[in-house]
Amino acid sequence: MEVFSRDPVLLATILGTSLPFLSMATILIFTRHYPMLSSRISVSAIGFSLVSAIFLLVKLACAPGPIRYETGWLSSGLLHVPFGYFLDPLSLLMLTIVAAVAFLVQVYSLGYMAGDPGYSRYYAFQSLFAWAMMNMVIASSMLQLFIFWELVGLASYLLIGFYYEKQSASQAGKKAFVMTRVGDVGFFLGLIILTIGYGNLGISDLNTAASTHVLSQNLITLSALLIFCGVVGKSAQFPLLTWLPDAMEGPTPVSALLHSATMVAAGVYVFSRIFPFFSASPDAMAVALAIGTVTMLLASTMAMVTFDLKQVWAYSTISQLGLMVMALAAGGYFAGVYHLTTHAGFKALLFLCSGIFIHQYHTNDMRVIGKQGGRKLLIPMTCIIVGALALSGVFPLSGFFSKEAVLGALAENSNPIWLLAGLFGAFLTAYYSFRLIFFILCPQGGIEEKHPVDEMDAHVKQEHAEEHHGYLFWAMAIPVMILSALTLVLGFVEHPLENFMAGGIPTHHMQGVQHAAEQAHGGGHSWLLIAGVSAGLLGIALAWFEFGRKKAARVGFLGRFPTIWKLFERRWFMDDFFRKTLDRFVYAGLTRIFTMNDRRIIDGGIDGICFFTEAGGRLFSFLQSGMLQYNLLIMVLAAGVAILFFLV
Amino acid sequence: MTSMNMAGFPILTAILMSTVLGLFAILFIPAERTRLIKQVSLGFATVGLAMCIWLYFAYDSQKGGLQFVERVLWVKSLGIYYFNAVDGLNLPMLLLTAVVLFTAIWTMWELEERVKEFFALIFLLVAGVYGVFMSMDLFWIFVWYDVSLFPMYPLIAIWGGTRKEYGAMKLTLYLLAGSALILPAILYLWVQGGAVTFDLFELQRIGFSAFDQKLTFLMLYLGFGILAAVWPFHTWSPVGHVAAPTAVSMIHAGVLMKLGAYGVIRIAMTLCPAGLGYWSDLMAILACIGIVYGALVGLAQTDLKYVIGYSSVSHMGVVGLGLATMTVNGINGAVFQMFAHGVMTALFFSSVGYIYDRTHTKYIPDLGGLSKTMPIASGFFIIAALAGIGVPLMASFWAELLVFIAAVSVFPVQGVLALAGLVISALFMLRVVQRTFYGEKNERWAHIPDVNGFLAVPRIILVTIILFFGMFPKLMLDVIQSAVIPFVGTF
Amino acid sequence: MNNLNTYLIISAFLFSLGLLGVLQRRNLIGMLISIELMLNAANLNFMAFNRFLSPEPFVGQIIALFIMGLAAAEAAIGLSIILALFRKLHSINIERAQKLKG
Repeated sequence: MEVFSRDPVLLATILGTSLPFLSMATILIFTRHYPMLSSRISVSAIGFSLVSAIFLLVKLACAPGPIRYETGWLSSGLLHVPFGYFLDPLSLLMLTIVAAVAFLVQVYSLGYMAGDPGYSRYYAFQSLFAWAMMNMVIASSMLQLFIFWELVGLASYLLIGFYYEKQSASQAGKKAFVMTRVGDVGFFLGLIILTIGYGNLGISDLNTAASTHVLSQNLITLSALLIFCGVVGKSAQFPLLTWLPDAMEGPTPVSALLHSATMVAAGVYVFSRIFPFFSASPDAMAVALAIGTVTMLLASTMAMVTFDLKQVWAYSTISQLGLMVMALAAGGYFAGVYHLTTHAGFKALLFLCSGIFIHQYHTNDMRVIGKQGGRKLLIPMTCIIVGALALSGVFPLSGFFSKEAVLGALAENSNPIWLLAGLFGAFLTAYYSFRLIFFILCPQGGIEEKHPVDEMDAHVKQEHAEEHHGYLFWAMAIPVMILSALTLVLGFVEHPLENFMAGGIPTHHMQGVQHAAEQAHGGGHSWLLIAGVSAGLLGIALAWFEFGRKKAARVGFLGRFPTIWKLFERRWFMDDFFRKTLDRFVYAGLTRIFTMNDRRIIDGGIDGICFFTEAGGRLFSFLQSGMLQYNLLIMVLAAGVAILFFLV
Repeated sequence: MTSMNMAGFPILTAILMSTVLGLFAILFIPAERTRLIKQVSLGFATVGLAMCIWLYFAYDSQKGGLQFVERVLWVKSLGIYYFNAVDGLNLPMLLLTAVVLFTAIWTMWELEERVKEFFALIFLLVAGVYGVFMSMDLFWIFVWYDVSLFPMYPLIAIWGGTRKEYGAMKLTLYLLAGSALILPAILYLWVQGGAVTFDLFELQRIGFSAFDQKLTFLMLYLGFGILAAVWPFHTWSPVGHVAAPTAVSMIHAGVLMKLGAYGVIRIAMTLCPAGLGYWSDLMAILACIGIVYGALVGLAQTDLKYVIGYSSVSHMGVVGLGLATMTVNGINGAVFQMFAHGVMTALFFSSVGYIYDRTHTKYIPDLGGLSKTMPIASGFFIIAALAGIGVPLMASFWAELLVFIAAVSVFPVQGVLALAGLVISALFMLRVVQRTFYGEKNERWAHIPDVNGFLAVPRIILVTIILFFGMFPKLMLDVIQSAVIPFVGTF
Repeated sequence: MNNLNTYLIISAFLFSLGLLGVLQRRNLIGMLISIELMLNAANLNFMAFNRFLSPEPFVGQIIALFIMGLAAAEAAIGLSIILALFRKLHSINIERAQKLKG
């Protein structure tokens, strides 16, 4: 106890990161049948976490260096696994983001999930997620990070499959878990190789070791690539990206929290967490850059053809994560982290706004929402436009600043193709975001007259009308407004944030990196500024031309090429590929062969031995005539022969 | 060491006696007083459990080595000792046995058919298991080993389910075939050691020629390996589990399979380290095949218990892989995995048992949507499945971590292949969970009540143990390690 | 007359007669009587050897007594088996007892 009173930082860290776990345990064990109480417990726990995260952020903003608390967790032979906290600007920033978004989403869920039969379960899983994610963020060693990384994946599995009675939801949960697991096994293997080769998985130790050339280049490259597998899985990079759109089967707040703002950013976070380690291997960085780029472009194309509100944002999340990976891989440490920060804000905003539409109109289809008068919901409509503008990188919203930082980092690269890809991506992003906005804002043929409704429907509408002004509506609206406000101001804290971030990493570890980041904001790239903004505006203009203006065809240029449309819509046939591989190779191939082997060869062999033994017995059973006196006769004769043999 | 050496209360004998006395107590109760029989069984199991927990925490892992030694010369002319002791290798196993026995008896609370005989046989079985785990004398290990095998046949053939005679017969024949390899190996070692002692540690000090070690190691490995479901001698395990009643599956998969792995460590690896070095490649390959193969075959199964049976094959492969590495981490992980898998699989069978008792089917396509009607029962199964996948903060995660670290450094190819098995195991566990528990509410099972508070207790105990050692692995690893470090030094 | 061979020949004859009876009779009682004949042949042998060869005069007699006791026990058990068989088969013909035919 005395330790805590002397060290409020440690106390705040422990309490802030552990309370959600207690809340989960309490809900699952005691308050499962009291939904309101459960939600109160969960929200207050995460609220406390947010407060302590902000406290830590403020308290340690001027700290000279990272703080590290550690205690032994397990030791086996030469292997020592510590449990600890590593507080540096990056982890504190991420901790605050996670706590803030989680808090807002949980508040929002008070309205969104109201009346759901699984209300308590929902809050228990939310707490589980918050706990795992926060502990992952401030883990002091990569192994501890991996442990909580897996738990975050577990929370994601449980929340995606929240409506488990729906086949598609449970399927999506399983898909997400297994696909990320594929990456995680790579991650795990990378950590194992590092353990064997270096023996210390402490984050700061790894970064120091990599930049001081203690480790061999091959070891770094191999383990960096393997760890990057985990990033690919978790952050839905190519080729493991198709689980994320499916993950939208979960409740919308979950999509906002896990599958856009925080959990999927965990991959990017890991990348930036051991950024000096990664940057010690140019090969690994090159692979990451290529994968990030491919992901960003692929996902953007997919977003251009879907009509599902949440799917658009899901694809957009993938493509923005690709952009962050690009930024980091190009050496733009701050750019990547900064984009992660702003993206968490505006993407959560977009999802939560969409959630209000979906809640109100019971459909995910943007055309239907538009026709039923989606634009009449003023608060979400305004906010969603703010979010979309930020996503498209329009001044002065947060997305503008971070996207410029990313483009600046890309421009540092000698090969212009990455920058071009980035600009093209910005164009596509703006196009698909505003395609969605215009579908809702300017529906074809105006808003439909209310078709005749029966009593039931009228009743439902009535309820919603009440909700619209009630406590539940405001529970949803206020988080959305807070997020919009954040989106508006977050852009202007770029320089303080950059200084804060730079303070955390001793400069001699970050030589090349620091340089790139400074260059990106050096102001020497005014052409880049113009190019970036114009790419975004061009996209918005194209969307206006095709979907917004009065006489627009509302088809889009892609609609004229059915083949390409289909290609994009089927996610470049990636899912079909995985499905076929799994069906043909695993289910019809290995599993069948092995099962046959088990039944026929191994079991058959054993049963065969039994059969032969039995058949042999049957063969000789003719000797047993059943006649007692034959047996006696044989016995006497045998005895006679023996006597003759021994006597003569 | 030949003198009598019995300081203090003979706690190990007392643990053994808790089952033997339990057996006799049950035999003296009239068969129709089923409730009393169950209470008495549970009482004796509780006493055993309490003593094992006390023993676990009383063991000084700082000091290590053999503790609570009870050693009496029994047959002088043959050199047989009544020699019980604990160290870091068998202490977790004793704890596991006590826990599984206790929960298995509680799980079978609703048994109505031939109650007396059932619990009597269970106690006989567990007496053998305790005996194997605590004996340090080859003769006694073998005797107790056969005592533990024999009750399996009636337990499965009388109270079993699907194809019970076939399953019982297959299991018994397999295990006796294993015994038939073990006995000559033990006798051979005894003769080579001068035919003067069956004491494990005296034999270890005598030492054997390289040829003897290679020969007997292989015999012992295969003999005990059959019980540990080493590929390709695993097919008895799914069939036997499917046929067996719930408690027997729990004890069998939870404890008996560990007996095989324990035999390999305690006898084969202790007495024949050179043989281990010679055959470790083979062990690693078989273990690796077992891990991947078990998971892949598990994917194709439609019977809940078959699925768990194959998952056991896969998980016991991890134990084999850890042992084959001959490193501290590998063996630490293997022993930890034995404990973790024992608790986990007991939970698996316990929850499947509840579902089967109520629905009378284990056929996965017939189930489905169960979590609507029995959320708590489903929850237990899902937790077991997550432990099976190796989700962190469950005991098996740490075990797998240690084993894989060791395996990748010693056998890179097998280690990486086995890691790939993790993906498949995730796929097949989640597949089962999805098909059995998720989906629309199934009207056919709508009338079935969820696990009540009383029947939930044993499952809650198992879940707690999984999570407890998942969060505080040090408490178990320190104990295991105290034996493993000197053990590895003998290689 | 008073030499060993005479006794041995008689004993061998008795034994062969008993053996023939055991092998040939289909009646279980007959077989049992034949076995008694064989036992008595052995008894005769013991007595003869004792009389002509043994330095200890009593050993053979004791063994002969033993064999008589044994024969009585054997007859009791044999008869009870036959009785049990009769209850089951309603016959004492050995050809009816063929359950063990392979």
